[in-house]
Amino acid sequence: MIQDRVSPFKSLLKEHTELRAQVNTNRAVTMLNGNIVSNLRSEESGVSARMYKGGVYGFASGAEYSDENIRKVILAAEENANFMDSRIKKNKPMLPTVGTGKKELLKDVRDIEQKQLINFAKEIDEYISKTYSDLASRTIAIRCDSMEKLLTVSDGFDSHSLLPRSFVYIFLTANAKDGTPVELYKPFGGFGYFDEVFEKPESLHADIDSIYTDLMKKAEGVYCDAGYKDVVMHPDLAGILAHEAVGHTAEADLVLGGSVAVHNLGKPVASQLVTMVDFAHTALGEQAPLPIYVDDEGTPAEDAVLIKDGILTGYMNNRESAQHFGMKPQGNARAYLFSDEPLIRMRNTAILPGKDKLEDMIASIDDGYYLTKTNNGQADTTGEFMFGVCMGYEIKNGKLGRAIRDTTISGVAFEMLKTVDMLSDDMLWTCSGMCGKKQPMPVGMGGPAIKCKVSIGGR
Amino acid sequence: MKTNKEIATYALDALKKSGAEHAQCLVSSGKVDEFNVDSGEFSLMRTLFNSSITMKALLNGKKGVITVNKLDKESIDNAVCDCISAADSSVVDEAEAIAPKEENEDFISGVITPDKNKLFDRIQEFMDDVKNEYPKIVLEQSVSKYSNTESVFMNTNGVNYNYTRGHYDISSTFLARDGEKSSSFNGYGVLLDSLDRKIIDVGMLRTLLEESQNQIDTVPYAGKFVGKVIITPACLMDIVLTALGLFTSDSTIIDGTSPWKSMLGKQVASDKLSISKKPLDPQIVCGERFTGEGFKSANMDIIKDGILENFTLSNYASRKTGFPRALNSSYNLFVKPGEISLNELTKSCDRGILLNRFSGGQPSTNGDFSGVAKNSFLIENGKITNALSETMISGNLIDLLNSIIGVSSDTICDGYSVLPYILFDGVTVSGK
Repeated sequence: MIQDRVSPFKSLLKEHTELRAQVNTNRAVTMLNGNIVSNLRSEESGVSARMYKGGVYGFASGAEYSDENIRKVILAAEENANFMDSRIKKNKPMLPTVGTGKKELLKDVRDIEQKQLINFAKEIDEYISKTYSDLASRTIAIRCDSMEKLLTVSDGFDSHSLLPRSFVYIFLTANAKDGTPVELYKPFGGFGYFDEVFEKPESLHADIDSIYTDLMKKAEGVYCDAGYKDVVMHPDLAGILAHEAVGHTAEADLVLGGSVAVHNLGKPVASQLVTMVDFAHTALGEQAPLPIYVDDEGTPAEDAVLIKDGILTGYMNNRESAQHFGMKPQGNARAYLFSDEPLIRMRNTAILPGKDKLEDMIASIDDGYYLTKTNNGQADTTGEFMFGVCMGYEIKNGKLGRAIRDTTISGVAFEMLKTVDMLSDDMLWTCSGMCGKKQPMPVGMGGPAIKCKVSIGGR
Repeated sequence: MKTNKEIATYALDALKKSGAEHAQCLVSSGKVDEFNVDSGEFSLMRTLFNSSITMKALLNGKKGVITVNKLDKESIDNAVCDCISAADSSVVDEAEAIAPKEENEDFISGVITPDKNKLFDRIQEFMDDVKNEYPKIVLEQSVSKYSNTESVFMNTNGVNYNYTRGHYDISSTFLARDGEKSSSFNGYGVLLDSLDRKIIDVGMLRTLLEESQNQIDTVPYAGKFVGKVIITPACLMDIVLTALGLFTSDSTIIDGTSPWKSMLGKQVASDKLSISKKPLDPQIVCGERFTGEGFKSANMDIIKDGILENFTLSNYASRKTGFPRALNSSYNLFVKPGEISLNELTKSCDRGILLNRFSGGQPSTNGDFSGVAKNSFLIENGKITNALSETMISGNLIDLLNSIIGVSSDTICDGYSVLPYILFDGVTVSGK
């Protein structure tokens, strides 16, 4: 656990200044066909300071965690802020206040031995190799990361926070009849240390069986017919839709940069069925996948409602953008490493569930697709988005048909969301991904099954 | 312990004393000064004092790797214990090894003494140039930095390399806006070893800024056709690296799923295609001098006149499979230029698209790809016409590499790579 060396410097922090000590850990084990090709532990730690002066920031960081180095980074941040202020002269006012207080650590800081991860991977690998000898390749990747932060600010909430995540990724490859490789993967896990998330390897056997079954169907699958189609997106895709296609366009820094959301505040951007929220720490009565209580500017975190009944109602802000737009900062300023400055980031972004049943949604389509797994996604500030789809099925006359090969779907978010006419009454959260925006960042995302129209790639 | 060499020597000694039969160590330290521009205005100046040590130990044929960013004795002692413990828990693998001793060498590259004020002035000038010459452009974010690093690699076979380097790194994300209409965002990055030139004149920046202004009004392609695509240097890097990752890299050669696994020395692409990785070329800024495994880097051909000359394997994968290891592990791609201009290449395209950015799903190991054509234009009867939106392309990377109609004589250098424009055939283009 990080020893508190930063709070004694609180009285020295000028203007608006954040002083943050942080430790990020990564533990990785990868087994490829029984070979351990990666057996890695890494740790990055240190202290940083960021000072706001007249509309510009100065930032500095260093790895050494000593009183002498803390003084050095505070001074370097101040020098940088002064340099920028003297050259730019924006003369902007101080940032808005957010109250004061302190949030204590809610979870013990721990570590997991590499041996435990390797043994887990070995047992999973043994199960797959014995059970499914017809596979062309198998990979088990275990990834555990954690982010502990100790924050002291000149004005705002101090906090001590911890975000541990643990995941097991299973990648299986089979050869199709024509000899070409076909692959499928799925991540398992979520918030917590490895032994809190995974009880024993056997608990994943049923899920591995399910991946294998899907893979074999995919190996005999067909290419999609490219075009504009009716689809049902599994909740796995709803989360990435919420995050990539809508969430990024509603980040206030991208709004200032010219995203599509700039001219749509208060206007209908989706079907009235759609409500979308960036949850801070509690979602629908339960802990959100990655709970954030205080952000890295010392702002207490609260939910940001982005779309309410189809109307774009708000943006996600840091203190500076909130002041610009006349909105309340809600705790979206997050930094990845100790050496990173806080950026406007999502936390746990979800489309809320509706009232429909999945089977009714599929039954309502004559000719379309049921898309069940995604492997990546990107979106534009115009709202044009793309997701890779690595598993799915044809829908013919309201019934599931043949499996499909890898494809890509695309659309323009605020147009596509207006085609949503059914939402399932359940939802699924994931937090295995890293959002990329100058810095990586763990984020949670979720949603129900969605029936809509999108463009689909094919042959 | 004051110098990186003293730290590496101490860590190797500690690893050996803790039982490692073989060990290697990379110690780096340096400083970064960075200026950020957000929404067209200066927003942040950032200074980072960086340090890191990565150590690898082999214990009874088992590997452990540790990376930490603190270089004090206590942190290194803890990392050594962690490294040995990780290795002890691992699985015996005879392919694991460390590099043999070669002649030791010190390398220096790039600009070692930065000019912070000149960098600031160049960024200001870039912002002014964009405002004056491309008035519809919004610089969404520009990150400009000077980085210097001193890295020492040592192993227990006596390998000892020292590399001191410094460079400027400019990356910019931008879009064009006109009233309530805006283009897709686009981005471009360059590495520089001097500030002699204006930033706006580097690489493809002017072309991309001009094109963004022409992408405010777009047309979704209606229908579907199989046609041609000119892939620009800004996009070609992603396409080539994806293909090399799928067909020539460690994972798919080790597990045997690469479609090229038995194609070494054989034709895998059009004879118009030659791809090399050349970190030592003078056009590359601060290219790799030794690999992460401790081998001195050398330039290498991967595909020459369509023939697969080399995979891009690590030493581990080489020992695992029996194929030769790659002579460098850089991303410094060179694609051999052709003999006709971009203008002539465009004229020879009856129906297709000019592809500046590909936003797609991770292609399959068999090479199938599909995705959205971003920042792209329709080409009709040899002329660039409408900017496109909501237009998808799909095909197969292996087929694509075998369907090259022409390669431009024009090349673009961005400090990382030197690449031409290539006209491919057989890509499916589909819209709403």
